[in-house]
Amino acid sequence: MAEELFRKSFSILSCNFDKAGENTTEIKALLKSLDFNPDIIRRVVVVAFEAEMNVVMYANRGRMDFVITDEEIRIDITDEGPGIPDIKQAMQEGYSTATDEMREMGFGFGMGLPNIKKHSDFLEIKSDVGKGTTVMAGIRLVPDA
Amino acid sequence: MRKWIHGFKIDADRCIGCLACMRTCPTQAVRVRDGRAGLLSELCIDCGSCLKVCPTGAIYATTRSLDEVSKFKFKVAVPSPVLFGQFPANVTPGHIVEGLKSMGFDAVWIFTAEIELANRAIREYVQSWKGKLPLITSSCPVIVRLVQVAYPGMVDQLIHLETPRELAGRELKRKYSEELGISKDEIAAIYVTSCQAKTISIIEPAEGVKSDLDGATGIADVYNGILASAQSRKETNDQKALTAKLLRSESLFEWDMSEGQHRNLHGYRYMSLTGLSNIIRVFDDIEKGKLRNIDFLECYACWGGCLNGNLTVDNLYISHAKLKRLMSELPKDDPELAAEVERRFEGKEFYAKAPILPRSVEGGMGGLKERIKRIMEAEAVLADLPGLDCGLCGAPDCTTQAKDIAAGDARKCDCVFLSEDRMNHLRRIYLKGKQDSNLNS
Ligand SMILES: Nc1ncnc2c1ncn2[C@@H]1O[C@H](COP(=O)(O)OP(=O)(O)O)[C@@H](O)[C@H]1O
Ligand code: SF4
Ligand code: SF4
Ligand SMILES: [Mg+2]
Repeated sequence: MAEELFRKSFSILSCNFDKAGENTTEIKALLKSLDFNPDIIRRVVVVAFEAEMNVVMYANRGRMDFVITDEEIRIDITDEGPGIPDIKQAMQEGYSTATDEMREMGFGFGMGLPNIKKHSDFLEIKSDVGKGTTVMAGIRLVPDA
Repeated sequence: MRKWIHGFKIDADRCIGCLACMRTCPTQAVRVRDGRAGLLSELCIDCGSCLKVCPTGAIYATTRSLDEVSKFKFKVAVPSPVLFGQFPANVTPGHIVEGLKSMGFDAVWIFTAEIELANRAIREYVQSWKGKLPLITSSCPVIVRLVQVAYPGMVDQLIHLETPRELAGRELKRKYSEELGISKDEIAAIYVTSCQAKTISIIEPAEGVKSDLDGATGIADVYNGILASAQSRKETNDQKALTAKLLRSESLFEWDMSEGQHRNLHGYRYMSLTGLSNIIRVFDDIEKGKLRNIDFLECYACWGGCLNGNLTVDNLYISHAKLKRLMSELPKDDPELAAEVERRFEGKEFYAKAPILPRSVEGGMGGLKERIKRIMEAEAVLADLPGLDCGLCGAPDCTTQAKDIAAGDARKCDCVFLSEDRMNHLRRIYLKGKQDSNLNS
């Protein structure tokens, strides 16, 4: 069993585009003060930001857990919202149900989930239509030699 | 932790502990622990913001004096293009060159050819780049250091090419050592700089290599000398032809300027940014993957580009207008120049000497568990602090103070809300003799 070393929870408000991404900024600062390798930080930041934004854009509210174990860095997100009816379709590059308004703000190019996939070592999405979605994504840590 | 060289010093006697520098520093590199400002060297990116806001002049620039280069046999001034926009209209580029010579330089090297060479190299670089986007200019040393210190994940995006000023230093040494039959070590290339940061980039290049320039002097330091020399000279009527001969092409004024790469990167998705606070905002977005569809970012820490550097003399907008006028007198394309650039481009001598790596900063000590223990402690401390970021503890904000405490560099009782002693201590420092009468009123 992996030993959990650190956990911090953040709540995510829906439609709050103004403050969107602030949790990710905090996660980045934490990783930086832990002196993680810049490439790992960059990957975690992309994963956290995209996952956080999806809650802001599509769900009603959500919670993000940032977890570090001796084996991995993980982002666990659970939201209450419409859920994703077809996860395979949602994972496709360019697929998006974002509104024109969101696109004007620079979001909703259908690259969020594909980017999470690309930047993580593992990704698990579960969704209950009408109830909500959980996303668990993370990066494996190679033990210090 | 190693000490980095910076272009300024803090005079403890003149520092009144007003917190202005600490509040303005973009990388939280200043602490004001006992009523005196102190620097965390590894965090400082040489932006010069603290110098600008210091009300007493306690933070002062340390330019190298020109005496130090007197040991060289042959001294060449390498003026920043910005220099040519600093003077009244009757002081022509010809006068400026003569003025520099009157101050002890044996020659003046105006680096139009190196700019065109760098421009071509940038175009080729952008075209063949397969890595992360956007690419970021590396001419402003503050931007390079900002990425190293605060955006370490983006270091690969800094274009890995020499700047024209460095290319100029290399080329002029080659040329003059051949022409004069002296060794390259006997030639000094002195950059006439718009800012402190470029001086530091010569003394301590971000790539950890040796610069091809040997030092720098500020535009402000040569300004009066040039002006005096120009006034003692009679007006001659061939100045226009001389201007074109010296400056060669208008591309000279497309380097270190806001939107300078506009023409060069025509057809690419290009964005020009000036001003450190704007740049930080955009870098935050890049880091999150929010800024897409941009190939190239041109960034200058100074608002408006190097025309607004801290060692310039004239107002940004006035000097901008002057340069525009000078540009209109210059050829767009010069066949001789084009041939030179073509020939030198084939030599491919424009790649940076070494990669730019992140600067190792805070929290690096100990294994992962130890580091995590420290940030958990910082989080716990932070929960007990008021979150007002008042700065009276000596750190710029409560978060930074909590980290300092967890690292053992500060104490919880430095907070005025948690300690009456701290408040009394500050009263003694800041109110001096006044406190007794004040307290009783
Ligand atoms: N948490 C979520 N709740 C509901 N739907 C979601 C959620 N996350 C993603 N989706 C759906 O998946 C689609 C694709 O998501 P993504 O790849 O992030 O692209 P984008 O956010 O640009 O639309 C979204 O348009 C949306 O329909
Ligand atoms: S020069 Fe800039 S980075 Fe360095 S201490 Fe001053 S404000 Fe901070
Ligand atoms: S923008 Fe130019 S003048 Fe200002 S710090 Fe950067 S290089 Fe120096
Ligand atoms: Mg998305």
